[in-house]
Amino acid sequence: MNITINGTSRIVNAGPLTPLLHVLREELDVLSPKAGCQQGGCGTCTVLVNGEPRRSCLLPIAAVEGAEVRTVEGLASGGKLTPVQEAWIHHYAAQCGFCTSGFLMAATAYLEKGGSDDHAEIAAALGGHVCRCTGYVKIYDAVAAAARGESFDLATTAAGSRTTIRGVEL
Amino acid sequence: MEDPAVLIPTSVAEAIESFGAGGDIAIIGGGTILVPEIRLGHARPSRALMLHGAGLAGISREGTRTTIGAMTPLSALSSLGEPIAAAVSNIADLEIRGQGTVGGNLCAQNTDAPRGDLQGVLIALGATVRSVGAGGERSEPAETFLPGRADRLVLDVSFDAPAAGAYAYLDRAHTHEYTALAVTAVRTADGTIRLGANGAGPHGLRLPSAEAAAADPSAAGVAALADVQLFDDAIASAWYREKTLPVLVRRALEQLKETA
Amino acid sequence: MKAVGARLPRYDATEHVTSGTRYVDDVRIPGTLWAKALRSPHDNAEILSIDTSKAEAMAGVHAVVTFKDVHKNVHGHIEGLGIPGDEPLLAETHVRYKGQPIAAVAADSEALAQRATEAIEVTYKVLPALFDVRKAFDADAPQAHHWGNWYPHFEGEMDRRQIRKGDIEQAFADADVIVQGTYRPAAIEHVPLETQVCQVVPEAGGRFVVYSATQAMYFSMGVVAAHLNWPLNKLKFVGGTTGGGFGGKVDTATETITTLLAIKSHRPVRWRWTRAEEFLFSSTRAAWHMEIADAVTKDGWILGRKMLTLHDAGAFARFSPYGVTKHAFHHTGAYTIPNLEFNGFVVYTNRTPSTAMRGFGVTSVSFATETHLERIAQTLGMDPLEVRMKNATRIGDTSPNGIPYTDPSTVPVMQALSGAVGIELPAHYRTMTSAIRSGEDLPGHLVAQLGNPEDH
Ligand SMILES: Cc1cc2nc3c(=O)[nH]c(=O)nc-3n(C[C@H](O)[C@H](O)[C@H](O)COP(=O)(O)OP(=O)(O)OC[C@H]3O[C@@H](n4cnc5c(N)ncnc54)[C@H](O)[C@@H]3O)c2cc1C
Ligand code: FES
Ligand code: FES
Repeated sequence: MNITINGTSRIVNAGPLTPLLHVLREELDVLSPKAGCQQGGCGTCTVLVNGEPRRSCLLPIAAVEGAEVRTVEGLASGGKLTPVQEAWIHHYAAQCGFCTSGFLMAATAYLEKGGSDDHAEIAAALGGHVCRCTGYVKIYDAVAAAARGESFDLATTAAGSRTTIRGVEL
Repeated sequence: MEDPAVLIPTSVAEAIESFGAGGDIAIIGGGTILVPEIRLGHARPSRALMLHGAGLAGISREGTRTTIGAMTPLSALSSLGEPIAAAVSNIADLEIRGQGTVGGNLCAQNTDAPRGDLQGVLIALGATVRSVGAGGERSEPAETFLPGRADRLVLDVSFDAPAAGAYAYLDRAHTHEYTALAVTAVRTADGTIRLGANGAGPHGLRLPSAEAAAADPSAAGVAALADVQLFDDAIASAWYREKTLPVLVRRALEQLKETA
Repeated sequence: MKAVGARLPRYDATEHVTSGTRYVDDVRIPGTLWAKALRSPHDNAEILSIDTSKAEAMAGVHAVVTFKDVHKNVHGHIEGLGIPGDEPLLAETHVRYKGQPIAAVAADSEALAQRATEAIEVTYKVLPALFDVRKAFDADAPQAHHWGNWYPHFEGEMDRRQIRKGDIEQAFADADVIVQGTYRPAAIEHVPLETQVCQVVPEAGGRFVVYSATQAMYFSMGVVAAHLNWPLNKLKFVGGTTGGGFGGKVDTATETITTLLAIKSHRPVRWRWTRAEEFLFSSTRAAWHMEIADAVTKDGWILGRKMLTLHDAGAFARFSPYGVTKHAFHHTGAYTIPNLEFNGFVVYTNRTPSTAMRGFGVTSVSFATETHLERIAQTLGMDPLEVRMKNATRIGDTSPNGIPYTDPSTVPVMQALSGAVGIELPAHYRTMTSAIRSGEDLPGHLVAQLGNPEDH
């Protein structure tokens, strides 16, 4: 069986029911997606499958045969980070970093579809992802800043902002 | 250690043949429930039937009748109007909705948490479920299909466009949380009011006593308690469900009135 | 000073966003086996027999370990602080909480390791279990622990952490009102997104490399070495990259058992807990039961506090005696109460052992104290901020355990906070400082206890 990962076609030997996450991490050594829960509940394993964010721990490999899979390994090219990666650094949106890969891929899909800097929309797009360190505000700030097309000074971090969720200012 | 034998049919006919009369065979729709259960060893089927290539996805319309293929992802349902749109946007998050299917939602076993949110919605819509299995093909109302769903292969569900629909649910802080309790109210084209509930029994249930009292939303809410089998789970206690069911019935009916 | 006040980026941010960060589960060593544990299905039971022969005979199973493989099976996490050990690494004759490890397996795949644990046969005599700290002291309570239902080894073999300060009976006799309250924060799971995980790799020279997600590297290294009775130089710990811990990764949860499996199989071994294991069996923040009675004057001075704390340690002590000690030292919060009678017990139950979490032992009592101050204010019909300012810790006050405060921050913090939330303090409190109290602020009977010694 074949899948394309970050533009490179790879042969997979795992059985048809093996979750894509397991194939990526254990067979192909693509390590950015993490095994946070392996039951769909946390979002650390999210990758893009034909451009759509998907939990790789829930996807049987046979169901994505021939698909284009994108992971964090495929974001930066030639040492140049994507705006959302830069936004993450500048806005201090990662602490332990374990959730970061999943969030970045979900945010990448959101921005590629023209997502706005509206916090409620961002929250809906990232709603499947858990972060235990940051408290989310800096993550929303990062995605919003990337959506506005800001450029980022990586030698410093942005001042924090306030955000509103479900009408409540945090 | 034996991995299950995996069948990957490439047509509806092949899927029906592979399923045969069912038995020890796990149907994999989107896999959002079953894949982790198999991986963790909670389910150890000897055979698995993967439907992703069987041609069971898609929504079609004929007159007022809408038919949804079993493999249609939940995300495709958001354009179907109320009450389906509201119910679907409350299921999990956008990634799971892109993968989870209508068939999987209808057939979800609510063992540790209510996780077939469309069941009560389809009951309220008076939907017909077309399935195969022992005894061949069968078309039946969702509420009669649900109790025996374990050994059937669902092909599609269909319903007539309602005049109006409303969905009331216990809102929770995070998008992932399963819905503890939800009530769907539908006014059919001929003006009949139908009510379905989720999280109030082993699967979605119809609320006939509440329907009979529907003219008075508050009375209907109290009447609904006669139609359900409330339970405790990690998400909510039976006590809490008992207190909130009448409220949700009332809200769904009031919402329905507003969309007169 | 280049760093203080500057907005520096994280040193590891670029690695995080490019997946350059290597967590323990990302270490790739060819030939690594998977570990799984057989865990107790019972809350409290005697173990009558353990038979691992079927698991050992399975093809692809390379090691099965039980208590018999551990040189020093019972080793206390903080024996170094004088707190004796009570918890077996692998259960021998008794299981005291659901999920307690009894045996562990290393096998070619995760699924095979799981099946091998299921092939281990254990027979039990199930005993009644204790879940409620309030019932632990009843004569007919089930016995949760071999030392009894509460930890008996505080200094001097005392069965509690106790504090006596001032003259508590006089304070209660002088009080206008006694305000009582009970506070019971529940256990909390840390839920780091990276579950407990470790990999152990044997080196050719006989040393073992332990890739650990621990929050306490050298401490964990000492724990592993003590169980094995090895010198530290036979272990090389690699750590410092943790996918969230919040206190839940100070227990040495995986390292020792994984090392035992690597020793026995002569192979690299990885042990990664499932999310369900993390929720059910990794240690939690403790549940607490706190009863407070405060002797209060009608103008809001707290003359004395009697407090009883029952700390739910779960099945074993781990760090609980230390947590209760911190709790005791902080049991008046950011306020000074001159007369105290505190009794804190580390109570054993048949629940998952508890551990540190963000402010170990102190968050519970902060919650209780702050809520209790609201209750006092309500009882007296006073502004809760005024009650706080009045009793705020000042320079020269002493902590419950007698340490003089040299730079307490209660007063300036309260002033800043009330400004931030738009509450205007009375002028007197706006200009108040942390300076040592002068006699005029105090009711007569407190001057001797809280006033400036030079004033009288
Ligand atoms: C994080 C998370 C949050 C979730 N939140 C919700 C929620 O809020 N509400 C909710 O309702 N659900 C929720 N779910 C559950 C699940 O995603 C949905 O119910 C989904 O619709 C299931 O569909 P599936 O195709 O993925 O199911 P699968 O895992 O493929 O199957 C589920 C069950 O249905 C059977 N089945 C599948 N297709 C058919 C068919 N065509 N015929 C007969 N049987 C079939 C399977 O054999 C299995 O028993 C959540 C899941 C996750 C992981
Ligand atoms: S690992 Fe896939 S959602 Fe948690
Ligand atoms: S940064 Fe640690 S979980 Fe998000």
